[in-house]
Amino acid sequence: MKKTIKFVIRHLVLLFLSIVWLIPILWLFVTSFSGYKGINTSHFFPETWTLDNYAQLFLRSDSIVQYPRWFWNTFVIASFSCLISTILVLMVAYTMSKLRFTGRKGLMSFAIILNMFPGVLSMIAIYFILKTMGLTNSHLGMIIVYSAGAGLGYLICKGFMDTISISLSEAARLEGASEAKIFWSVIIPLSKPIIVYTVINAFLAPWADFVFAKLMLNSGVATDWTVAIGLFNMLGKSMINKYFSVFCAGGVIIAIPISALFVIMQKFYVEGITGGSVKG
Amino acid sequence: MKNALNAVGKYFKDFGTALAKGDIGVKLSAVLMGAGYFARKQVINGIIMCLVEVLFAVLCIGYAAPNLAKFGTLGTVQFEQVFDPLTMTSTVNDYDNSFLILLNSIISLFIIFVFILFYISNMKAVYRLQLKKENGEHINTFPEDLRMMFNEKFHITLLTLPAIGIIIMNILPILVFAVAFTNYDQQHMPPNALFTWVGWTNFKNLFTSSVTVTFGYSFKKVLVWTLEWAVFATFTTYIGGILMAKFINDKRTKLPKLWRTLFIIAIAVPQFVTLLLVRSFFADNGIVNTFCNSIGFTGFLKNIGLVPSNLSYIPFLTNPGWAKVMIILINIWIGIPYQMLVATGVLMNIPEDQIESARIDGANPLQIFIKITMPYVLFVTGPSLITDFVKNINNFNVIYLLTQDVFVTSDQLLANSNAKEIDLLVTWLFRLTNEYYNYKMASVIGIIVFIICAAFTLVTFTRTIKGDKEEEFQ
Repeated sequence: MKKTIKFVIRHLVLLFLSIVWLIPILWLFVTSFSGYKGINTSHFFPETWTLDNYAQLFLRSDSIVQYPRWFWNTFVIASFSCLISTILVLMVAYTMSKLRFTGRKGLMSFAIILNMFPGVLSMIAIYFILKTMGLTNSHLGMIIVYSAGAGLGYLICKGFMDTISISLSEAARLEGASEAKIFWSVIIPLSKPIIVYTVINAFLAPWADFVFAKLMLNSGVATDWTVAIGLFNMLGKSMINKYFSVFCAGGVIIAIPISALFVIMQKFYVEGITGGSVKG
Repeated sequence: MKNALNAVGKYFKDFGTALAKGDIGVKLSAVLMGAGYFARKQVINGIIMCLVEVLFAVLCIGYAAPNLAKFGTLGTVQFEQVFDPLTMTSTVNDYDNSFLILLNSIISLFIIFVFILFYISNMKAVYRLQLKKENGEHINTFPEDLRMMFNEKFHITLLTLPAIGIIIMNILPILVFAVAFTNYDQQHMPPNALFTWVGWTNFKNLFTSSVTVTFGYSFKKVLVWTLEWAVFATFTTYIGGILMAKFINDKRTKLPKLWRTLFIIAIAVPQFVTLLLVRSFFADNGIVNTFCNSIGFTGFLKNIGLVPSNLSYIPFLTNPGWAKVMIILINIWIGIPYQMLVATGVLMNIPEDQIESARIDGANPLQIFIKITMPYVLFVTGPSLITDFVKNINNFNVIYLLTQDVFVTSDQLLANSNAKEIDLLVTWLFRLTNEYYNYKMASVIGIIVFIICAAFTLVTFTRTIKGDKEEEFQ
């Protein structure tokens, strides 16, 4: 009896928490079907329901709304920068975690101090550097912005690799494997959970970022934009009353690739990997 | 510290030895970098070194020299435009752009610095080759040298690419913070105007409070709030995330995957969408206020004095006190699912055998959590806790998206220096650059933020990572 009550309370708490977490998302979702284009301030649910906001996003591109184009731009940028960042992070994390060489500790401290310098601050300088290279208003420039410095974010990944038993790589070394081979065939397969984490993080960044994008893609041509700037632009003071529901529809759509990615990857979080491979 | 100094000392001493005791090939390398390799028949290495040297010489003459010549003044030729009424075109003189001079000079200095290090290392490498030859040791062929890059020197192979990226994206921009020592602001904007060096003036301004300059007053206020915010934001989400992960992954919880996914949905929507949405949610005439008004909550808060009596709504994001609390709460909403994800991954990897043996020894669940789970979680996520703290000091998104265009300060002293009560140092800095083009003060604040973050990291970092703890769990 006591157990049943505890069981019910436990799940009621979870239910309550998930409601708190999902209310704004629910609002986003229902408002995306609203027939009224501005912000509805008196009712949670829209008074008239319609699919027109989605139709406007995909079928009626104009100088303000270029959604399919933005989606494609962001997807390309996110994919490439995700790939590059993950590779860079793994390279640095492995070096710092498993290889021993002079200056390793020094480099680690240096990298951490460097990482302290907020990206927002160096933004202006990065803008000028890319501008002299002619890379503003281009996908390549954005990919560089999102991925070039990724190596600095190696700490979490290194923390994970530190927990992979050193006996594994030692065994491989005894069998005559080169360092490169150990990296590729021993450590990488064992690091799946943290690779997933890195991939998700790196893929999310370009979808979520708007400060850098706004600075770099400043041509004012809607077809150059990413989803973030496009949507942000819809909430400008003069637009918000005409585009708020369209903005919500756009928000719903961009959540889809990210949630899908997560569902595919989620199982990796749940597998205890080191537990399995060191035993015995 | 002493070790570092010794290492630097040794670095130059080795260079001196190489130069003094080297044979003709090594000595020639001081002029022609490939010479030492040619002397040991490593032709390909020699050619590569010579090419590097030639490239550097070209860069120096064509790029570094003209820029560095103007570095002292940051340019003297003012932008002038002459309109010719006959041809209807304007001609622009060959003016100096102070910012480009500064940027190019910094890049040049950096390249020269790296080249010098490279040059010294090259001398030492060439000298080592000579010693090897004298001792009759085997001298690597080029393919053997290449193979080294995947074994003993694998770290060099792995780090080269990340390092180049980091130099472009992180190191060069930091050097551009030399702007803090110039008068680069709205009155001195290239290309129309020049700016120049002013020494420590801007730093003095940041710490002065007078009738006209209120940066000192604002700086103190903004700094205090930045630190308060960082502490609250970091610990609430960190602890909340671990607890939630424990709670969901508990054996007694049914359908853990479903619950986890529900919370993930909240972060699947990009932050700027949710934040802008929540901002409209809590607006002065927004839906939450309508609701609170209709159930009489607003009146209740007025009675107990939490809401000023002249307002008919709850100033969620427009009153300094309310806004600060709301920002922290909304940040919990955003941050906990992320932390839960990290904590879940880590909790899954706890060595089961340790827990099992503790259980056999008769430890209760609480003891296991405190003695085994927490130290393990702290060890793996410890570094990320520090990074989170520093990230929060620089948490631009939450503050900017929630309050931009909504929050207006009523404190005249703050407004004089373009700051607001809810500003973090970074949002203040962003506003200074983006809206007021006050690059000089923004750079000064940037340097201060950097010092604060670096100090926090160094203190905590050396404590958590120091010693051989790295191997403890391996």
